[in-house]
Amino acid sequence: MSLLWLRVAVLLYGIASLAVLPAALYDRPRWRHVAVPATVAAFLFHFVSFAETLNAAHHALPVDTHETQSLLALLLALAFLLVYWRYKTVSLGVFLLPVVALLTLVPAFRPSHETLALAHSNWIFLHVVLLLAGYVCLILSLLASLLYLVQERRLKAKSHLLPRVKLPPLDTIDQIALRTLLFGLPCMTAGLLIGSAVAATTVGAAFFIDPKVLLSFLMWIAYVGMIHIRRISGLRGRRAVYLSTFVFFVVVTVWAANEFSAVHKFGGV
Amino acid sequence: MSQSLVLLGINHTTAPIEVRERLAIPAGRLADATRTLLHQPGIREGLILSTCNRVELLTLQHEHDTPSDLLRFLDEYFAVPAATIRPHLYEFREREAVRHLFRVASSLDSMVVGEPQILGQVKESYTVAREVGAVSGTLDGLLQRAFTVAKRVRTETQVGSSSVSIASVAVDLARKIFGSLSGKTILLVGAGKMSELAARHLIQQGAASILVSNRTFARAEKIAATIAASIGDKPVAAEIIPFEDLYAHTHRADIVITSTGAPDKIFTRAHGRQFLDRRRNRPMFFIDIAVPRDVDPEMNNVEGCFVYDIDDLQQTAAANLADRGREAAAAEEIVSGEVARYQQRLLTLDAVPAIKALQQNAEQIRQTELAKLDSRLSTLTPEQREAVESLTRSLTAKLLHPQLTALRDPNKRQ
Repeated sequence: MSLLWLRVAVLLYGIASLAVLPAALYDRPRWRHVAVPATVAAFLFHFVSFAETLNAAHHALPVDTHETQSLLALLLALAFLLVYWRYKTVSLGVFLLPVVALLTLVPAFRPSHETLALAHSNWIFLHVVLLLAGYVCLILSLLASLLYLVQERRLKAKSHLLPRVKLPPLDTIDQIALRTLLFGLPCMTAGLLIGSAVAATTVGAAFFIDPKVLLSFLMWIAYVGMIHIRRISGLRGRRAVYLSTFVFFVVVTVWAANEFSAVHKFGGV
Repeated sequence: MSQSLVLLGINHTTAPIEVRERLAIPAGRLADATRTLLHQPGIREGLILSTCNRVELLTLQHEHDTPSDLLRFLDEYFAVPAATIRPHLYEFREREAVRHLFRVASSLDSMVVGEPQILGQVKESYTVAREVGAVSGTLDGLLQRAFTVAKRVRTETQVGSSSVSIASVAVDLARKIFGSLSGKTILLVGAGKMSELAARHLIQQGAASILVSNRTFARAEKIAATIAASIGDKPVAAEIIPFEDLYAHTHRADIVITSTGAPDKIFTRAHGRQFLDRRRNRPMFFIDIAVPRDVDPEMNNVEGCFVYDIDDLQQTAAANLADRGREAAAAEEIVSGEVARYQQRLLTLDAVPAIKALQQNAEQIRQTELAKLDSRLSTLTPEQREAVESLTRSLTAKLLHPQLTALRDPNKRQ
């Protein structure tokens, strides 16, 4: 049954991804009235599916890559809805909703064969959720920075001859970019601390010389550095995009480092 | 007696300002003029719309009256010879009068298509006409419909969404950069009607303070006082910046409006970098209305600086105006649909007296026939009597049904 709900969610995310284009780019309110309810409905189906999956498997945390991927998509959809609720803009949905749909597509149509090695503790659940929330904030901030760049270029180009595309004001986009980072930092910090504490008790000192773990701490330093630079110098536009992109690649590297990690990876069933 | 809807008027396309100004009615005299119109022979309801671009009389009158009655009203009330007015007049009747009213209320007949003031002016005229009792049944319904149509046009099309004046384009652009203008600071450098107008617009939209700098200190003081006075009750912090201290204060402003007569550039790219450093990269919007320009266009290449000169503003306004033209086509379709619906509704209402008469006649026949049989039906029990009543009512209704349906359907009636 959970798979059916997930497939319904994928369909609704797909509808929302298409509806958000005229809603965000051409300021057609009718399409916004399709995109937002479709996302809300998709989020609910997705949540039910996720909860049912965990319940059926008698565990309280995502144990394989597909479940983790599904949780990431769920958090991204939630982030989109929160940004819409706070700033009344659906522009970020142009990038976010297709990503959510794609992330959900694979778990909905291809069963997974991997499990997380440390799938035995509620603390690990918190570790996973908090880190994913940190990633979501970073993705959101990167998208907002890109949107800022687009809007800045349009305003500088005096684009009265370009098609009438409506984007949020620069100041709003900047607030989204910075506030999501500020929200993501405590999530990422707590996620890493919990992960480290669990690892120290289960794996021991060897955990802290693992490449994945070292990269994770580098990611945290980059994250903190990015916030510091943005706040101190008021970094915006092109340079903000470069900085966010750099940190995003660090995050992707950390994610991919599962392959090279001896202590932190998804294993075959 | 049947009624006829007649609209007679002049507007900016049919009459020059010299004629329009002679027929213009000040707001204070509108009630009196409407009352006088209502007292004209044959007029049952009436409304006068008087703006700087049009004077229109919308009347519901007996069908035999001709528009010359209205022309005589114009002649007598304004003391303008009919011969002077007649060449500029237009007249619409029935369906075309409805269409014209809907187009006017929706701002499709305005000089600047989509401008929002006209709907307020129509509503004002309506309020005055209601107060003097010149608008009641039919015209009341028509005007309410016109307001609904105008609202539909505004919400379903983009005809009024883009700015078409220099000052409103400036406000629009500022909003795209800063979102809300609340708490923003404006710096006005130099003097000029257009720059002052733009500053006023920005303050009305929420800007909290204004810095004024001019080569002549007294002139700067005067400009600041004029702007503060024109804003009304809104508290605005105004500060005069001596021209020689201009560069030391420019970074405080979010929006800089320049319109000096200086032959050389006042603000260069290097200045832009300097201001942004001091503002920790918070964006700045330069509106350069001066010719020759005060701001080096190169400053637009500094990240965070947005420079718009008078040409940019004018081109944006022109592009927005063209956009409105495209949207107006969609708005015309809405108006056409609404005119057809209104006409249909009127025709249905027209049939009501005939329907009532037919039903009353049938009921009378039924009652007469039952009365004839009264002695023979007296032996029936109350239940049987009720069954006979019900049967006759049902028969009458069924026999009338085709005729009533035909009467309610305007297409079948015609």
